[in-house]
Amino acid sequence: MGQVAFYYLAAASVASAILAVTRRSPVHSVLWVLALFLHVAGVFLLVGAEFLAAVQVIVYAGAILVFYLFFLMLLDLPREAAGPPFGAHWPLAAAAGLAVAVVAWYAHEAELAPVPDRPAPAGPSGNLSTVGMALFTRFALPFEVVSLILLAAIVGAVVVARKRKF
Amino acid sequence: MVPVGACLALSAVLFGIGLVGFLGRRNIILMLVSVEIMLNAVNVSLAAFSHRMQDAHGQIMALFVIAVAAAEVAVGLGLVIALSRNRPGASVEDLTELRW
Repeated sequence: MGQVAFYYLAAASVASAILAVTRRSPVHSVLWVLALFLHVAGVFLLVGAEFLAAVQVIVYAGAILVFYLFFLMLLDLPREAAGPPFGAHWPLAAAAGLAVAVVAWYAHEAELAPVPDRPAPAGPSGNLSTVGMALFTRFALPFEVVSLILLAAIVGAVVVARKRKF
Repeated sequence: MVPVGACLALSAVLFGIGLVGFLGRRNIILMLVSVEIMLNAVNVSLAAFSHRMQDAHGQIMALFVIAVAAAEVAVGLGLVIALSRNRPGASVEDLTELRW
């Protein structure tokens, strides 16, 4: 059952990614990326990462893609939709993508290291509590640094996009 | 039980598709969207390894990747606004001189 669901999600993800990259209209592309992100959230659920699936839906599908759609409507690009979607160098791009995919595919064919036997985690079980405990104990410093990165990005976006020249 | 190898193959294919989009598209906003596809492919493989190792650290790394992606979107689209103020349109082929 899980396998059938996984293969459906994988096939739908690849199909929507291909459609997102090849559609002519930018708005259609972003909507196909939305379908891709929702299917990837399903994959996260199947591998037992419930919190990651929720964050994927809320942050990626909810916030980031709405931001992209807002920008496409704001800039209003009628000329873009009329021209060819790919530049003249698209065969090179296709070759590079194919090469990377083939190399990564063969890398997973190599024998994966055996999983070390670890004792069952003591304390509260369950995905969300495990992630939360690790995030606020061992990864507390990186967690705070991420907040600094987000603050710097907010300030940088305002500085870059404002009207007054330096 | 999902096989981890299939997850890694899915991740590889999605990364390749995102790379084709980033290198081949003319629209600068769709190039940024292709970067998002590539970051998501990496998240798939991180979650798969986390599932295989029965260890939450892979998921935490994926959360950090999502946070960095959000920061990248904010700065990248700010740059697109600054570019489109100087010359309208969002095609990378118009940006032959990055100096004004």
